[in-house]
Amino acid sequence: MALRELSSLEKYLGLKKPNKYSTQGDKKVPVLQNNNGPPLVGLVTIACHLVKEAKRPELLGDSAEGRAVVQQWLEHRVTKLDGCTKEDTKTILKDLNLYLQDKVFLAGNQFTLADAFIYFGIHPLIVEMPIQEKEQYVNVTRWFDHIQHHPGLRHHLPPLVVLRNRIYTSRHH
Amino acid sequence: MKLYVSEGNPHCLKVLAALDVTGVQCDVHYVNHEERVVPYLSRPALPALLLPSGLHLFSSNAICRYLFEVSGKDCTELCGQWLEWEATDLQPALLQALHMAVLQGKGSDVSKVLQGPLNYLEQSLSKGNLPYLTGDAVSAADVVLWAALYPVLSDSSQALGERKFVKTWFDRGAVMHSLQSAAQKVLQGKGLQGTKSYMQKQPAPQSNQCRDTQPCNSSPAEGEESER
Repeated sequence: MALRELSSLEKYLGLKKPNKYSTQGDKKVPVLQNNNGPPLVGLVTIACHLVKEAKRPELLGDSAEGRAVVQQWLEHRVTKLDGCTKEDTKTILKDLNLYLQDKVFLAGNQFTLADAFIYFGIHPLIVEMPIQEKEQYVNVTRWFDHIQHHPGLRHHLPPLVVLRNRIYTSRHH
Repeated sequence: MKLYVSEGNPHCLKVLAALDVTGVQCDVHYVNHEERVVPYLSRPALPALLLPSGLHLFSSNAICRYLFEVSGKDCTELCGQWLEWEATDLQPALLQALHMAVLQGKGSDVSKVLQGPLNYLEQSLSKGNLPYLTGDAVSAADVVLWAALYPVLSDSSQALGERKFVKTWFDRGAVMHSLQSAAQKVLQGKGLQGTKSYMQKQPAPQSNQCRDTQPCNSSPAEGEESER
């Protein structure tokens, strides 16, 4: 999973030469052999490295605050989202739904690495979810649909139908 | 900016130490463990930093990283790698160690639980042979890892065993005023037991529940798994 995400990120960034990755430990943590230094270990660490290599620093946030928010969501992805139980899933989506209430992206007013990796991490949860349940998380599904249509991002993942035609929703707000 | 912390919460030790090391100006508020400071999180998450923009940071590592960045010390790639390792590898082991030592009175098992992460740390420090994790100066990574390990290592140095590189590096942090005053505020001079009120509110560590109930069987079970 993690390796496919990194390869999708490489394509998104337009990096010409694909890197070769290995994994370490039971949790299959990705490792990137680095020509001019010690190997890089960890999904977040390698993803940030690729972004720097592609000279796209804005993907890590455009201010000190923005960068901290991006890092926080990247950490959230690898500590909370990965390996979460069914019960955790509900809490995570509920919280994210509230957070996204007044936001288009996770950090600031532009697409960042945080959007990419929370999207990658949430995709398997959304796949399994019946449409009625998706409707409980309207802000998440709105954001999800937006990110999955972000140009060049969705390489290893199938597109998902997350939003029903509004005509069929009978609920009043 | 406002920083919300609670007594006994080991993650708050990280941010209070980082605040002191960086000298960033910030109001510190002490609240209960159960206080919901971050409006969109259903479970209490402390520490939390209210940023000038009105957003909250709820990850202690992201807060430390931010404090270092605004004081002019950017987190390098290596620093980021240590922070990721701390969150994904060290924290689950530490949570289990604290659970055993503080709530179950099995302090003697702490060194076994921390064996893996401490060996990794020892190996990395011995390779680089530098005074700090990322080089010649204190980084966010050092402060985060010192503070994370402080409750356990300052209480029982036995957990360190023969790991002399970790010991030298840890002692460098343990004598710092910033770390000691943060520890005094969070642990109230009660050492590891200072985290009790916090630990009682935490769910039992998931991944190792079988070990909690049958600690004596853990080694043979592991052996079986690796043979498969």
